[in-house]
Amino acid sequence: MLPEIKYYKANTVEETVHILAQNKHAIRILAGGTDLLPELRSEKQNRKVIILDISSIKLLNKIEDEGHFIRIGALVKHSQMVESILLGRHAGFLTQASSLVGSAQIRNRGTLGGNICNAAPCADTLPPLVALDAELTLESSSGNRTELLSGFIRGAYKTNRANDEFLTWIRFKKLPEGCRSNFIKLGRREALSIARLQVAACGMIDSNNKICYIRIVPGSTTPNVFRFTEVEEYLLGNEPSERLFSKAGDMVARKMVEITGVRWSTEYKKPVIAALVRRSLQAIFNLKPGVAVK
Amino acid sequence: MKIEIKVNNKRYCLEIEHNLTLLDLLRDELGLTGTKRGCEIGECGACTVIMNGDAVNSCLVLAPQADGSEIFTVEGLEENGELSILQKAFIEHEAVHCGFCTPGMLMSAKALLDKNPHPTEEEIKIAISGNLCRCTGYKQIIEAIKSVSNQ
Repeated sequence: MLPEIKYYKANTVEETVHILAQNKHAIRILAGGTDLLPELRSEKQNRKVIILDISSIKLLNKIEDEGHFIRIGALVKHSQMVESILLGRHAGFLTQASSLVGSAQIRNRGTLGGNICNAAPCADTLPPLVALDAELTLESSSGNRTELLSGFIRGAYKTNRANDEFLTWIRFKKLPEGCRSNFIKLGRREALSIARLQVAACGMIDSNNKICYIRIVPGSTTPNVFRFTEVEEYLLGNEPSERLFSKAGDMVARKMVEITGVRWSTEYKKPVIAALVRRSLQAIFNLKPGVAVK
Repeated sequence: MKIEIKVNNKRYCLEIEHNLTLLDLLRDELGLTGTKRGCEIGECGACTVIMNGDAVNSCLVLAPQADGSEIFTVEGLEENGELSILQKAFIEHEAVHCGFCTPGMLMSAKALLDKNPHPTEEEIKIAISGNLCRCTGYKQIIEAIKSVSNQ
């Protein structure tokens, strides 16, 4: 049973910020509902919940080509992301991540903005978006502000979003020409699975066969999602090799343990994240053609 | 609140509570109990219906959000009082055992076939990957859908 609900609906950004400003007491924003409805159902207290449905704001339901940048409306659904040729061409690992979210039914309702604002540590789109240095636009009655996604996420299910703000756009630079990207998700089964570990990576080599561009973002690995810049720096300027990638995998694993400390799952996660990073780099730099990457 | 909704080509004007889901609305308000209530957290797919052309979990759609939408449920599959080709294929391929997942499976399959009349086996598997079956086995279900796509 859902708790008692007071339902508001906004059809435009202006209406949304207006209703948010009027209801300073925490209002719950509803987009696709794939996270919010199970959450409401599990709530024990019988308090009336105020919901603001923003799912009909047409303006925020599109993916735009801005030349060097791509701008995605917060209400774009995962299924739209998967079908986008523009995203497939310039941010392939983001498309891959969206294609692995939940199930067909979840992807038909769940939005990119919801995936970000829910801020689950296992959210599939966060690692590729962080690798892209994505920037968010948040709107409130006092105007808008932009913030890097990596700073917006403040830990598991926590963000910098103020009660009277809402996410409108996600913007990032297209990957450089010739850059290859890859997303690996490890779950207990293929469909409807919650990720145990993820790796988003992208990179390219220069004419001397040296790595000249590299981004590595492990997911579900640490409470916050961020680029492992030390590992990226280690790889830069080197020729792709099995040994180099094994070392990079070990570095990521060590860094993970530094941050999270040793937990019950560490014994499993440490070698596995190292292997996923290695595989991800192999896939990007074509070291082992024909190896299936999932 | 008042909502207007089209279900299986029939228009309804309803006065509803704010905390109903689309699943509650279909089953309890309209008496369309073909759509099954399963996990209610979007994991089992038993409540799958087609909303504006897409397969969705009706347990995760707040009924007020369905205002103005067009819904198809398993009851909408029959054509002139006869089972649809897809339903017949499920029977022919013994793709129904206890039957609880069947309405959801049928709607996921229909959503796929409406957009992609000749899907590959892989595409069929992806389309029904949000529908859990615990007794029939997926093989017969996939075979049934495949047989329709070949027609």
